[in-house]
Formats: sequence, structure tokens, C-alpha cells
Amino acid sequence: MEYEIRYKPAFSTIFVALKPGDKITAEAGAMTSMDANLLMKTKFSGGFFSALLKKFLGKESLFVNTYINNSDETLSIVLSQSIVGDIEALALEDSEICLQPGAYIAHTSGIDMGVAFAGFASWIAGEGLFKLKLKGQGTVFFGAYGGLTKKEISGDYVVDNGHLVAYEPNIQMGIRLAGGIFGSLTSGEGLVNKLKGSGTIYLQSRSVNSLVRFLKPKVPK
Amino acid sequence: MDIKLRSQPDSAIAHITLAKQENIYAQAGCMVAMSADIEADTTLRRGKGGGIWGGIKRMVAGESLFLSRFTCTSEEGEIFLAPKLIGDVMAYELSGNELVVQAASYLASSENVDLDVGFQGLKSFFSGESIFWLSLSGYGTAIITSFGGIYAIPVDGEYIVDTGHIVAFEKSLDFKVTKAGSSWIGSLLGIGGEGLVCRFEGRGKVYCQTHNNGEFGHLVGSQLPPRRE
Repeated sequence: MEYEIRYKPAFSTIFVALKPGDKITAEAGAMTSMDANLLMKTKFSGGFFSALLKKFLGKESLFVNTYINNSDETLSIVLSQSIVGDIEALALEDSEICLQPGAYIAHTSGIDMGVAFAGFASWIAGEGLFKLKLKGQGTVFFGAYGGLTKKEISGDYVVDNGHLVAYEPNIQMGIRLAGGIFGSLTSGEGLVNKLKGSGTIYLQSRSVNSLVRFLKPKVPK
Repeated sequence: MDIKLRSQPDSAIAHITLAKQENIYAQAGCMVAMSADIEADTTLRRGKGGGIWGGIKRMVAGESLFLSRFTCTSEEGEIFLAPKLIGDVMAYELSGNELVVQAASYLASSENVDLDVGFQGLKSFFSGESIFWLSLSGYGTAIITSFGGIYAIPVDGEYIVDTGHIVAFEKSLDFKVTKAGSSWIGSLLGIGGEGLVCRFEGRGKVYCQTHNNGEFGHLVGSQLPPRRE
């Protein structure tokens, strides 16, 4: 399988070439266009039970689609996300990555998709009670609203709610107020994620929550 | 007429220079700026789908009723046209062939391009979105816009595009709205998320947009308070 991410960073889109026998699994709705000879199979993401958990508690979609090249020539598929922004192709080598709701786009064969309990702190922060966990050997594609920043942390690190996209699984998520109670209410920062541990995190430069907060008062009553 | 596309791909705008008596038709509301001696009027474009009946069809379909017509009255004039959303713009040369354009992707066209409204070939209510189509034919330039980037696929055989990602396609292609997966039930219920897609067949180009304005609208709109009318 070969891929290229074009139109970076604002309109990042994944152009994939699947060789005979190759397959790629993508979030329901991610397929923009594809060769007609590709076989599409719909299945529950990460198994039936996990999929239900994700749907009702993690704000993720219930299904993923697997696109399989059963022909004897190279076929293409184009995958994109709903929001405008950057896309990262992360190569996993017997490692894991946790994705925040909405970030997942696709993964290659060799990767297992599952859900893990994210903790009540994550739920209170509006990030979902379960997190998406991808592990194995292959490539995971995830997307952001705006630009993506990769950051190595060790120890404590604070990220505003809605800006965290992905993190390595040995990082614990906590929650706290950005300042004191008064400071948090007035600074507009509210609740923030307090991360603990060492590893890599990915941040997005914009958040959908903020866009919604900007638009809300402008909707005529 | 000279067309220059600027600020591509994310904030694209078309900068058009018109000679005396030249005119250009454009989607109502897309004029950003122009020379003071360019005259603007609105028109019901007559033709196969023009006139009153064409206008009514467009009204029913939810598209604005009128096209703006800009005419250059001096030796030379210029006009800037831009779409509402962020995205790219492209110029397509028509030389007697036919181009089917998603209505929201139509920005402008030169004088001798015929515009037929309410192209019925694609019943897009299947896809659950109120997309409708224009058919452009004749000779001249059409200016087409996208939400996100535009990529062209030279189809030779069969190719599938999600209906929300079609910007335009050459009429030399056969097409039908069909299921994306192997099960009809799955597609009709939309459980695979892909629902019904458009399957193109033959030889010709299809122009796709990298992002789907409808999907983006749902993502943000579903979190806004309900509109009271």
C-alpha cells in the first residue's frame, strides 16, 4: 500500500493506492471517491460490544468500512475528514496510540482497533468515557481541526479541553480547572486536561467547541 | 476575457478582466468587487431550463432564482468573484461538450455557455441531501468552486464518488446512483456511513472536492441551538 497526503495543511486528504490483496479500514463516511472495483465491507468498529460502547458513550460512529483490493491491478481510494485541517499518518511498530473522539480516519491491516476505559475525568471533560485505542504494526491516520502539533511530554502537562487529538497510552488523563474557580470562569479557559506521564501527544490548533461557542450567539432567536 | 485565479487553494478568488461589451454570468451574491463602470443586472437565463418555468424549478429546488449578469461598458473593466465558503476555484473550458455541475459549485460562466437548471439525471434526494445539478454546454469558460481542494479523476472504466464530494463531471460519462457496499439494506439505512454513491462509467473527467460542505455543516450545525421560525 502506498499513500500520499495532499492539500496539506488546510484541506489534507489521503490518496491511497492499494496493491492487489491490500486493504484499508476507514471511518464510516470517510470515503470521498474510489475505483469501482474495490470491495467495501461494513463492520462494527472493534467488535460489536466495543462499537456499541463507542457509539453511545464515546461519540464515535458505530461502523467502519474495510476496502479490499481483490483485483489484479493497483486501485485507488481517497479518504478525507468532515472538518478542515491537517492529517497525520502515524507508523506504529508494535506500539499503541489513543485517539480522542472524532480524530480517527483510517488504519492499515496489521492494526487492531479497540476501546479502553478513559476514566470519569475524561467523561466530565466532555471527551467521552471510552477512548479509541489502536495498536499493532501498520499505519494509523487521524485528523485535526486546524494544524497538528506533535509534542513530547514528561511529567505534568496541561492541554485545553477540545485541543487534544491523540496521545500515547501510558499518559494518564486528569481534569482540573485552568485557574482557581474564579479565574476559570472569567478567563474562558474553564476545564482543562491535565496529562501525566511521558510520551508523545498531538494537539490541534483549533477546536470545534470554540467554533460552536462563537456561532451560538449569532444564531437569530 | 481574461481569468486569473488567486489565493488558491484555501481562499480562492477569480479575478476577471472584461473587454468592452463582454459580459459574464455569475451566481447571485458572489461579486466581491468590480470596476465602477461595469453594469450589473439580474436575469432569468432563457434556454432549455431558463425562463419562468426554469426559475420556478430553481426556486423549488432551493437555489436562488436569479443569475447576475455583469457587462463591461468601458474599454476594459475588472471584477472579482468568490464563493461563500473556504475552498478552491477552477476554470473549465467548454468547446461544445457538456459539463454537469453541482449547483452549489457553480460560480460563473461566460456569455456563450448555456446553463440548464434542474438537471434531472441524478436524483440526489436519495443521498438525503438537497443537492441539485446544473448542466453547462456551449462554448466558453465556466468557473467552478469547491469546499476544500479540487482533484480531477480521468475516468476510464468505472469510478465511484460520494455524492457530497462531486463538484462536476463531463457528460460523456454514464452515471447512476448506487450502493457503495455489497448490501442494499446497509446502504439504504446508511449504516456504513456511505449510503448511496455515484458510479461513473465510460471515459471522461469527474472533479471531486476533498471535503463535503454538507457534512461540515452537520458537524457544526448539530451543536447549534435550533432555529425558530
